[in-house]
Amino acid sequence: MSWRVRVVHTTGYRYDLPVTQSYNEARLTPRGDRRQNVVVSRVETTPATRAYRYTDYWGTEVTSFDLHAPHVELKVVASSVVETGEENEPIRSGSWPDLKADALVDRYTEFLDWTSYVPKDKELAAVARELRKGATPADAVLAACHWVHEQLKYQPGTTGVHSSAVDAWRAREGVCQDFAHLTLVLLRAMGIPARYVSGYLHTKPDGAVRETVRGESHAWIEAWTGGWWGYDPTNAIPVGPRHIWVALGRDYADVAPLKGTYSGGSASALDVTVEVTRLA
Amino acid sequence: MTASRLSKLFDGYLDPDRPHADAYDEMFTSDEGVRSAYRALYESIAPSEVEDLTARSEALGRAFVDQGITFSLSGQERPFPLDLIPRILTASEWTKLERGIVQRVRAMEMFLADIYGDAQIVRDGVLPRRLITSCEHFHREAAGINPPNGVRIHVSGVDLVRDEDGVFRVLEDNLRCPSGVSYVMENRRTMARVFPDLFARHRVRAVGDYAVHLLRALRNAAAPNAADPNVVVLTPGVANSAYFEHSLLARQMGVELVEGRDLFCRDNLVYLRTTEGERQVDVIYRRIDDDFLDPVHLRPDSVLGVAGLLNAARAGNVVIANAMGNGVADDKLVYTYMPEIVQYYLGEKPLLPNVDTFRCWLPEECAHVLDHLDELVVKPVEGSGGYGIVFGPYATNKELNSLRKRIKMNPRGWIAQPVVQLSTVPTKIGDRLMPRHVDLRPFAVNDGNFIFVLPGGLTRVALPKGSLVVNSSQGGGSKDTWVLAPRSSTVERELAEPGLAGPQKVAAIAAEQGPELSNSQQQQQQQQQLSHRTEEA
Repeated sequence: MSWRVRVVHTTGYRYDLPVTQSYNEARLTPRGDRRQNVVVSRVETTPATRAYRYTDYWGTEVTSFDLHAPHVELKVVASSVVETGEENEPIRSGSWPDLKADALVDRYTEFLDWTSYVPKDKELAAVARELRKGATPADAVLAACHWVHEQLKYQPGTTGVHSSAVDAWRAREGVCQDFAHLTLVLLRAMGIPARYVSGYLHTKPDGAVRETVRGESHAWIEAWTGGWWGYDPTNAIPVGPRHIWVALGRDYADVAPLKGTYSGGSASALDVTVEVTRLA
Repeated sequence: MTASRLSKLFDGYLDPDRPHADAYDEMFTSDEGVRSAYRALYESIAPSEVEDLTARSEALGRAFVDQGITFSLSGQERPFPLDLIPRILTASEWTKLERGIVQRVRAMEMFLADIYGDAQIVRDGVLPRRLITSCEHFHREAAGINPPNGVRIHVSGVDLVRDEDGVFRVLEDNLRCPSGVSYVMENRRTMARVFPDLFARHRVRAVGDYAVHLLRALRNAAAPNAADPNVVVLTPGVANSAYFEHSLLARQMGVELVEGRDLFCRDNLVYLRTTEGERQVDVIYRRIDDDFLDPVHLRPDSVLGVAGLLNAARAGNVVIANAMGNGVADDKLVYTYMPEIVQYYLGEKPLLPNVDTFRCWLPEECAHVLDHLDELVVKPVEGSGGYGIVFGPYATNKELNSLRKRIKMNPRGWIAQPVVQLSTVPTKIGDRLMPRHVDLRPFAVNDGNFIFVLPGGLTRVALPKGSLVVNSSQGGGSKDTWVLAPRSSTVERELAEPGLAGPQKVAAIAAEQGPELSNSQQQQQQQQQLSHRTEEA
């Protein structure tokens, strides 16, 4: 069953002193693919700016804008209406030998490499070996996601935006970003190409039509086991109609929703709100 | 050696016991014949007395000191180490080199356009994807930036060496910010002052118009809608070792020399702050590294670059020359795939061969390298200036063992080459002329329609006996590089006009350079420039 969902994501910064030169990039526009259709989407800023849009290396729609008039607050509102798809089924056509084939390893080299968020780790590699024993690749992905779900406690505040998977694992706590990174460490250690997906989640499994819920910015993973399919390790659920995806990459750094530079005093993040309404 | 037929100056020159006696000597054949390129030069200098040569050499040093160009080695000021014997290439040798360089630049332009576009060469399985994605200078931020006239390698410097058979081989490519062209021009200017008679006897092709070609290429690079494009040279600042070259080029082109803080972006247009207000900039010839270009995308702490620059280029409102991300094509591992790259894009065989190279990231080749470490030159893929290079034959066991560990740790980071005995050219050492090893860096400028190769280039020479390291920090010097015009040609040559000193051209350049920098400033910068060359080379 597919849903039609409206997402209104409000984010931004507040500054101690007026800022005059601010350059920003927002990655807030949902993308279309076989299981997701973007009906409308826009990104607006206050103060208003002349936005420039482009598609980056990973295929993400980027909205770039700069602001030169003095301002103490920058608000970015991304709103979109998206038709989401059926629940993702694990793809089971790929075998371990398929995953080891040189052509495949080379094709997905970027989703097998270590990054600063997804670093190589001996202990986790041992866990990965344990998890893949006797399992098919698809089952190993599920096992890794469930393992991470059991190991980490969902607890905002312990980890920050720069924490790596290993940091989160040591703390045994984290948010969706950490759940996704930790899963990626395990999958890549198994030799399964795996990537980071950012997006939104409708928080109610049986969301009523026209009811606006407080949603959240979310992250999950996709793995290649004969084809790409997604799973949500934070909630240990398949990616389904409640998931609206925006960007994918090797890790968080490739898909950061809002980043930029400015000159002036220190900044604090505005309260981020995500309002998700099921329309149909 | 018995009863040499050579002039006294060359006493003991072809001593068979000299180190690297197999190296190709560019002046003499092994049986003491003089090669055609050097015949006129040999006839001019052979009858000279030793004192005469020394006097010329001193005049050369004085000319540099007069211009304020000295070089400090181990804290001691000495005249800029320009050797008085030029390095000479015949018209036919040069034609071959020129063709080879042009071919290489064409192939690499197509390679870069492909890599930052659809990466067909990877999809077609010609190159492994991980070769590209593992390059330190592969910048994903540059994907989708398409320069208006398609040129990414506005200026390139291809480092060439000549092997034992006299064959020119490419040692490495420099496609980011190759420096050193100011030496080519300065060396020539000084040589013309000290040896007007030699220039009268040779048809040496001129190098003084480099800036004209550079400016044409930069103006051509602008978007067609910019009717009178505004070009600037972006320098990291006076503290940079190559500042002298930046200012020289800006002055010769008649364009502004700017620093990052002089520029700003607004709504994806780049402006220059001037006393008359903001002026839009269309083309930036930048001499700062990729990582510093734009704090929004790259190093956030960069103060040398311009925030928003990358997206201004993406929007097509400004051209960055050389383009960002060119380093993926001059990576030393990608270099080893150049035959495949040239074949794939041009359907041709490379005209200039590479130096044979073993790639440590391929297990079989790595095993070979580890077994033959003591015979090979091992180089880090990243890094320049000769840093980290290990000459196997001269290394101690301890050095080799630590190298072995480092290769095993990071095979992608290393390549190995057999020791190439670089060709030799007579060089004044004490009061005699001795064979010393040289390399060559010609400069090519691509204006979109035509790839111009400056006839000449920077010849660096290793001054210590037997040394194969031409870097100036290792006691390297340089030579004026002469490309001879074919007898029938009408191309511009140095000091062609009657009146040997050639007042108009040489004097004009000299006058242009007069007022801007004080002597001591020039001195300082030239030194930094020298040390910089070391880092780059």
